[in-house]
Amino acid sequence: MIFKVAWRNIWRHKVRSTVVFIAIALGLWAGLFTSAFTHGMMNQKIDSVIKMEMSHFQIHKPGFREELQVKLLMNDGENIVQAIQEEKEVIGVSGRIVTMAMLGSANKNGSVRLNGINPDDESIVTGINEKLVEGEYFRGVERNPILISRKIAEKYKVKIKSKVVLTMQDMEGNIVAGAFKVVGLFDTQNGMYDELNVFVRRDDMARLLGVGNSLHEIAVLLGRHDMAESMADKYQHVYPKLEVLPWMDLSTGMRMMIEMMDTYTFIIVGIILVALLFSIVNTMLMAVLERVKEIGMLMSIGMSKTRVFMMIVVETICLTFLGAPLGILLSYGSISYFGTHGINLGDAAYADMGFSNVIYPSLEYMDYLVVSMMVIIMAVLAAIYPAIKALRLKPVEAIRKI
Amino acid sequence: MKVIETINLSKIFEGVVPVHAVNQVNLSIEDNEFTAIVGPSGSGKTTLLNMIGGLDRPTSGTIKVNQIALNELSENELINFRLKHIGFVFQSYNLIPVLSAKENAEFVMLLQNIPAKDRIARVEALLKEVGLEDKMNNRPSQLSGGQQQRVAVARALASKPDFVLADEPTANLDSKSAENLLDIMHRLNKEEGITFVFSTHDQRVIDRARRVITLEDGKIISDVIQHEN
Ligand SMILES: Nc1ncnc2c1ncn2[C@@H]1O[C@H](COP(=O)(O)OP(=O)(O)OP(=O)(O)O)[C@@H](O)[C@H]1O
Ligand SMILES: [Mg+2]
Repeated sequence: MIFKVAWRNIWRHKVRSTVVFIAIALGLWAGLFTSAFTHGMMNQKIDSVIKMEMSHFQIHKPGFREELQVKLLMNDGENIVQAIQEEKEVIGVSGRIVTMAMLGSANKNGSVRLNGINPDDESIVTGINEKLVEGEYFRGVERNPILISRKIAEKYKVKIKSKVVLTMQDMEGNIVAGAFKVVGLFDTQNGMYDELNVFVRRDDMARLLGVGNSLHEIAVLLGRHDMAESMADKYQHVYPKLEVLPWMDLSTGMRMMIEMMDTYTFIIVGIILVALLFSIVNTMLMAVLERVKEIGMLMSIGMSKTRVFMMIVVETICLTFLGAPLGILLSYGSISYFGTHGINLGDAAYADMGFSNVIYPSLEYMDYLVVSMMVIIMAVLAAIYPAIKALRLKPVEAIRKI
Repeated sequence: MKVIETINLSKIFEGVVPVHAVNQVNLSIEDNEFTAIVGPSGSGKTTLLNMIGGLDRPTSGTIKVNQIALNELSENELINFRLKHIGFVFQSYNLIPVLSAKENAEFVMLLQNIPAKDRIARVEALLKEVGLEDKMNNRPSQLSGGQQQRVAVARALASKPDFVLADEPTANLDSKSAENLLDIMHRLNKEEGITFVFSTHDQRVIDRARRVITLEDGKIISDVIQHEN
């Protein structure tokens, strides 16, 4: 009966309740969708960071990452690569030599990050071969082939088979240079990455630098994202003199960003719920104040304080739950739809920040669950003040007003 | 048997000029009475009934309902006491607007945790007694003032109270509806032995009462038995 009374009381003011109902539905939808969008964006970013840039973990000589000093070599790099390849969870291992170099064409000079790779290993770890849009993956050119991005090709006005010159410092600090022939153009959709990286064969680069079989960088791709930290930890113990870092510690701010994302949904939805809280409190307060006589009468005939309190709480929860499921359903529907079809942002500037321009919103079931709990808590919170107001009523005074 | 007893009951409303709304009232009401409290406006009728009904606390003096002293009950005990022992009919706003006549009468039994089966049977019988068997599913807004008061009487009786208190139950009714309500109350008193204590201004209602207690400035100035039926 208390539910019946609550339910019918809500519809005593159709417009007022409908406004609250719509506000809750839209508010939740906006909150959930925004966070799903950001989640999706982050997941894609993480995916691309792992696939393209960092792999799951990397090994260097301590200090190498800061300045890419040619001297900081891992002399037994090949052995390490062999050893890690044995690991069951490992999909691929790429041993690289890496340095900053000057790239010169007839039109332009600029600095790039020069990656000397073993083409077969690299194709497994980063799949850069699949990102080729023109030319071939280290085929068709015998001497000193180089892979550059389409972006660099446009900037430096070079084409397939064009010649470019790479200038860098060798082990002794001498300036050395080599002529390379463009064999393929890649496009990873990540503008920042594309403008920075070029790839040559490790042997060609080792000859120029005089580093022999040593490596600067070992990148490891695993079968699962969530193994990254424990694996990195394990190999840090195996190679205590080297620096073994999982992907989230390889790029600055990444770990913080990920940890923030975990709470992001709840922060956004929390803010929206607080705003909704006030509109619900306001509505319920009006509902209590306009029913002073009725509530006074009920207390007079013997309705206990607990029951009066419950009556207001139930009414508030009913009011809230009218909108909440719709909002959550709307979110679920739209997130599922756009989660498979994607949202195309066009050629927005996001691409240059390392974000993909088609976003697939996603949200975990856990998030829906936590948000639902938050809504319930909010409804109870919203009920407390109006309910206390109702309890403060003195039946005699309320009755006197009759 | 004494249902209600007041001893030196007083209520003073403090203010710039303190008002002695009820002044040293000694009164006792027996089972099966049909008693009217009358007196000019401001004479203290509502204040007296509110104290007897456990809605208001006296400044001094004692009220006993069925030998239980109301002053000794806490706020929550008093609420429970009202629920179990007293039926109320107010001048207006007696009913919950969103519930039907039947549901309104049933509500007080729900508060008493009476099982649904018994509630329905009793409510239907009571609404029949007040002549509303064909209006049971109407909401208060779909009932006339007199019909609403009859639902209120049914609701008051639903809880099987020791007595029914009614403060000016006919004040908002036309004379025919007032007459009709009084007929019903009178019949319930005679046939079911329900004790009624009501206040009124209306001379025709006063004439129907068996016992008439007249108040002036918070004091009882006369207390007469008019007739025996
Ligand atoms: N809450 C209050 N505060 C101060 N004075 C009050 C209060 N309630 C009642 N009074 C005063 O107490 C006196 C008795 O009031 P009461 O309402 O009991 O009279 P009444 O006989 O019921 O009058 P009426 O016939 O108009 O209903 C009046 O003088 C009134 O002004
Ligand atoms: Mg009065």
